[in-house]
Amino acid sequence: MNGWTTAATLTFAGGVGATVWGVATGPLRRRVVAQNLSSALACPGLLLLAQGYGRPAYVDLALVLALLGPVGTLVFARLLAEELAADPPASPWATWCAAGFAAVVVLVLCAATGPGRAMVKLLVTGALLTGGNLVASRALAGGFPGGRRG
Amino acid sequence: MNRRTAFRAALGVLGWWVLLAGLWLVFVSAVDTLELVVGGVVAGIAAAAARGARGAVSGR
Repeated sequence: MNGWTTAATLTFAGGVGATVWGVATGPLRRRVVAQNLSSALACPGLLLLAQGYGRPAYVDLALVLALLGPVGTLVFARLLAEELAADPPASPWATWCAAGFAAVVVLVLCAATGPGRAMVKLLVTGALLTGGNLVASRALAGGFPGGRRG
Repeated sequence: MNRRTAFRAALGVLGWWVLLAGLWLVFVSAVDTLELVVGGVVAGIAAAAARGARGAVSGR
């Protein structure tokens, strides 16, 4: 047990645990937001675990989650479009807190990793995670009505 | 397809290839010749697919 794994444990127990509670209870608008936040918090937790165990390859797990988490939220936003239009979720502070937390974790890990390809990988993962979750959150809030036909 | 659109299409594929091959280079654990060859080939396939998807979305 070191500082990284302790931080990861706190992230999973406090952050992801709270989102699981949020997904399991309450109205739909809270459940979809909690579902979106779960990947936004689990991904930094996985990054912290990779650093704690000294296994850079474990970053791949966080990378895949950063890609698939927001995609999963977009599927829910699409399938539940009618229900969400009637009762739209709005959680700007929770979304921005999760995005800020992910950014802080990525930056701290970058400082610990030092310059190199591993740091670029961390930055790409962080950008995918925060960008994807902000877009998915906006989609849940009805930010893209009808989609864009380019 | 005239020469101008063909040039633009090739430029688009090349841009995608540079981006995707760069990502591959960052994501692999060890940089050696085999990784570079495989990365270059799959980046080319993915670049062609990206160009095709882009064309399908924009109706071209």
